[in-house]
Amino acid sequence: MRRHARQNHRLTSLLLATGILLCWSTTADAQKPYDELTYPALRDVQVPDIDRTELPNGMVLYFLEDHTLPKVRGFALIRTGDLWEPSDKVGLAGIVGQVMRTGGTTTRSADEINELLENVGASVETSIGGSSGSASLFALKENFPMVLEVFADILQNPVFAPDKIQLAKVMMQSGIARRNDGVAGIANREFQQLLYGSESPFARNVEHATIANITREDVVQFHARYFHPNQIALGLWGDFESDAVRSQVERIFGSWEHKNVDIPPVPKVDTAVETSVNYVSKDDINQTNLRIGHLGGRRDDPDYFAMSLMAKILGGGFSSRLFKLIRSEQGLAYRVGAFWNAAWDHPGTFSVVCNTKSETTMQATTEILKEVRRITEEPVTKDELRLAKDGILNSFVFNFDSKGEIVSRLMIYEYYGYPADYLEKYRSNVENVTADDILLAAKKHIKPDDLTILAVGRAQDFDKPLDTLGDVNTIDISIPPPPQGAKGEVSVR
Amino acid sequence: MKTRTFFATLSMLLLGIASRSVAQSLDEFEKTVTEHTLENGMRFFIVERREIPVVSFHLYANVGSVDEENGMSGMAHMFEHMAFKGTKDIGTTDYDAERSALNKVDELVAAIQEERLKGDGADTERLKELESEFKEAQRVANDFVINNKFSEIVEENGAVGLNATTSMDATRYFYSLPSNKLELWFSLESDRFLNPVLREFYKERDVVIEERRMRVESQPVGNLLEDFLSVAYKAHPYSRNTIGWYSDLDNLTRPAAREFFRRFYTPSNLTAFIVGDVNPQEVIRFTELYFGRLPEGPLPQGLWTREPPQEGERRTTVYAQSQPLVLMGYHKPDVTHRDDAVFDAVQDILSGGRTSRLYRNLVEDKKIAVAAGGFPGFPGNKYANLFVFFAFPTPGHTNEESEKAMLAEIERLKTELVTEDEIERLKHRARARLLAKLDSNSGLASQLAAYQVLTGDWRNRFGTLEDIDNVTREDIQRIAKTYFTERNRTVGYLLTDRAEPPTGR
Repeated sequence: MRRHARQNHRLTSLLLATGILLCWSTTADAQKPYDELTYPALRDVQVPDIDRTELPNGMVLYFLEDHTLPKVRGFALIRTGDLWEPSDKVGLAGIVGQVMRTGGTTTRSADEINELLENVGASVETSIGGSSGSASLFALKENFPMVLEVFADILQNPVFAPDKIQLAKVMMQSGIARRNDGVAGIANREFQQLLYGSESPFARNVEHATIANITREDVVQFHARYFHPNQIALGLWGDFESDAVRSQVERIFGSWEHKNVDIPPVPKVDTAVETSVNYVSKDDINQTNLRIGHLGGRRDDPDYFAMSLMAKILGGGFSSRLFKLIRSEQGLAYRVGAFWNAAWDHPGTFSVVCNTKSETTMQATTEILKEVRRITEEPVTKDELRLAKDGILNSFVFNFDSKGEIVSRLMIYEYYGYPADYLEKYRSNVENVTADDILLAAKKHIKPDDLTILAVGRAQDFDKPLDTLGDVNTIDISIPPPPQGAKGEVSVR
Repeated sequence: MKTRTFFATLSMLLLGIASRSVAQSLDEFEKTVTEHTLENGMRFFIVERREIPVVSFHLYANVGSVDEENGMSGMAHMFEHMAFKGTKDIGTTDYDAERSALNKVDELVAAIQEERLKGDGADTERLKELESEFKEAQRVANDFVINNKFSEIVEENGAVGLNATTSMDATRYFYSLPSNKLELWFSLESDRFLNPVLREFYKERDVVIEERRMRVESQPVGNLLEDFLSVAYKAHPYSRNTIGWYSDLDNLTRPAAREFFRRFYTPSNLTAFIVGDVNPQEVIRFTELYFGRLPEGPLPQGLWTREPPQEGERRTTVYAQSQPLVLMGYHKPDVTHRDDAVFDAVQDILSGGRTSRLYRNLVEDKKIAVAAGGFPGFPGNKYANLFVFFAFPTPGHTNEESEKAMLAEIERLKTELVTEDEIERLKHRARARLLAKLDSNSGLASQLAAYQVLTGDWRNRFGTLEDIDNVTREDIQRIAKTYFTERNRTVGYLLTDRAEPPTGR
C-alpha cells in the first residue's frame, strides 16, 4: 500500500511537470470527447434480501420491505393458464381471470369492492394468460391492511355474478369483432398461428362459438380446480413491517385448505419446420407488415445466451445490422428488428419484424433473408460482439432499480423451475459467449431455408409478386359468425 | 441523508397530513432539487436520489410541431430523428470531406425542387438527370458515414431507454446510464446540440414517411384523429398532425432543418432534468463545462395565433376497414388556467376506474361500449386544447348510442352537483396516483420537466394536489356549463367501410 502511494506520488510529480511543459494551456477542467473519458468504477449495488417463507398450506410468500415511499405493491402468481382450457371453450380462462375481480365475492358485492378500493386510490387486478395466472395490488400504506383483505377475498371467494360474466363475454366478442382493425395485430396473430398451428393452445383464437359454449358452471369449476394456496406465490414489497403483515397473511390465507391439483403437462409443440410463404390481403393500407421466422427455443437451452446476442446483433436496437441496413442506409422502414423470443416452458419463436411501403415489400424481404442467412454463415465481428456484450453488461445495474422487478423476477424463476441465481448466471454466460459460439448456435437454431414468411398488405402494389419466393398460401382472416341459437346460460343480444 | 429527506418530505407532501404542512413539506423537498442556469440561458434541475447507482437524463426542447410554418409540417419530428445522426466528431470518417459532399447533395435537392415547382412546365429530362446526380452525390456523402455511431456509443455504455419523442408542444430526448458514466451524457449531449451534422437526411426522410404510414394510414384511429383535429381547429396549428403531410415531408430539406435547429434550439429554449445518484456540485461543474459551450441565441418567437371561439357544432366522419369509434371534443383553456385542476377532476369522475360514470353507464350497465372515457389536454397542453370524450361501441351497437349516452352524462354534470363521495374519492385517487408514479427516475424527470416548462415551475407537479383539494362540486358544474356546450363541440365518427367484406356478427 505505502510503496504504491510513494510510487504514485513520484509518478504524479513527473506527469505534472511534463504536463506543465507540454500543454500549458490545458486546464484540468476541459471538455472531453466521449472516447477520452474515463469513469470511476460503478459503486456496488446492495441487492436487498428477500424474505421467502411458506405457509403450512403451501402458499409461498416473498416479502421485501422498502420504506422509501408510503405505499405497498403486491403480485401473486397462480399455477393455471389458458393452455389448459378445453379447445371448444377457448376464452374460459380469460373470463375467470376477469370476473374474479369484477364479479364480487361471497361477502362483498362488485360495487362494494370497486368503491372500497377506488375510494382510497387502491387497486386489485387479476388475469389469466398462457401458463400462469396473476393478481396484483397497489395501496397507500395506511390502506394496505384493508386492501390485502379484499385481495385475499377476491382470490378465495369470488362468486362470478352472471351479469359480470356476460359483460366479460361482451368484451371478448368486441375483441373478436375488432381483431382485424389494426394491421399489426393481424400480422402478429396470423404469424403465431402459422408457427404453432391454428389449433395449438399457444396460438388458437377465441371465437364467438367458443365463447358461446362457456357457462357459469365452467367458470366456477375452473376457479375451483386451480385456485388453492399451494398453487400460489404471493410477493409483497413496500412500506410495511414484515412481522405484522405475516400475521395478517396467516390469518386471511391460513385457513384456506391445501389441495393437490393435477396440472396437465405443458402442451407439446410440433417443431417440424418447413418453408412457407403466406399472404393476408389488407387492401386499404399502403404499408406491408412483414413477419419472417420460425419456432425457437427455451430459456434453459444452453444456447440461449448466444442466441440472445445473435438477435441483438442481427436486429436488436439502433446498432444492429437490420436497423443500420434496412432503416438508416436504405430508408425502407421505420420499424425493423429481430427477436429470439425464448419462452420459459416451451419453444418460443425466432422472428424478424419489418414494416415497409407496399412498393418495397420484396426488396426489404430480400435484404432480410440475406441477413438471416449471413448470420448462419459468417462469424459476427469482434466489434459487433463487444458492442452487444457491453450493452448488456454495462446496463446490468438496471436489473436492480425497481423493487417490484427484483421480487417478481425471483417468483417467476421459482414458478418455472429456474435457479434463483439465474440472472447472475445470465451475466457470466453472456460474458463467456464467443463469436464462434454465436455462429454454431445460429447454424443449429436458424434455418434460412425453412423460414415462414408472412406479408400482410396490398399485393397489387408489391414491387415483385410474392410468389417469386415460393407458392403463396393466402390466408382468409374473415371472422366466423356466432353460431345460431348459441347454447349456454348467458346469451348475448 | 439526502435520500431520507427526499422521500420523507415527498411522502409528507403527498399525504397532505394537514394542508398547512404542504407548503412546509414542499420547502423541504426543494432542498433535494438543485437548480442551475447557465449564462447562455440553458436551465438544469438536479434531483438527488442516491439509492441505486443509476441516473436518468431528460432534455426538454420547448419546440414542437406547432412551431412549424406552412409547408414545413413534420419538421420538428424530422429534426428529432436527425439528432441521432451524430456530430462533426461522431459518425464520420472525415468531416471536412463529408461537409462538401453534403453541400453537393443539398445543391442538387434545391435544383430538383426548383424544377419540380414548375409543375407541368418542368423539364423531365433535366429532372431525371438531376435525380441521378442526387443519388450519386448521396452515395459519395454516405461513404464518410459511420452508421449510427452516436446511438452505438450510448448503447455500449449501458444506456437504457434511449429515445426521443416529438409532440405538438415539445421535443424530448432521454436515456438513463449507470451513474459512473455521468460525464458521458454531458459530453455527447452537449456535442449533439453544439455541432449536429444532419447526415443521411434524405434517407431518414423516407424512414419518417414509413413512420407516417405505420401510425396514420395503417391505423384507422390514427386516420380519424388526424381528421378530427383538422376540423376542431381552423386557425391554431393544433389542427395539424405532428408527423406531417406526405407532400411536405417529401420536400423537407437539410438546409431547412438546419435553419429550424438554429432558430429553436437556442440554449434558453432548452431545459434538462437529471435525476439519480449524482453529486449536484459535480453536475453543475459539468453543465458549465459542457453546455456552457452552446452559443447564446434569442428565445424563439412565441405563437400568437389563438383559436377563435367555435360558433356551432362540427362533425366529421372517416370510413375505414374497422369497427366504429366516436370522439367528442370541447375547446378549453391551456394548462396554466386556474380551472386546470377542475378538468382533471372531471376526467376522474367520468372515467377514472370502475366507479366512474362513463364506465358504469356505457360499459357495465348498458353494455353499448367496451371502453368509454374523457380526458383533457388533447392534442397538447401548452395552448388552449380539447377535452375529449371517446367510446368504442360493442358489436351490434352504434356510435350514435354512445354519443347519446355520453351527452346525457355531460348534461347530468350541468343539472346536478356531483356527490360528496365522488369528490372525496377523486382527491384520494389523485394522491395515490401521483405516489404510484414516482418510482422511476426517468418518470420523475419527464414529469417535472413538463411542469417546469409548461407552467414555469416544476413545483406545480405537486401543487396540482392542492388545487384538486380545492375543487368544489360547484366548480365542476360551472365548467361543464361553460365549456361542454353544443356550440363548442366537435364530433368525430369512425365508421365501418361498406366495402369491407361482412365480418359476421
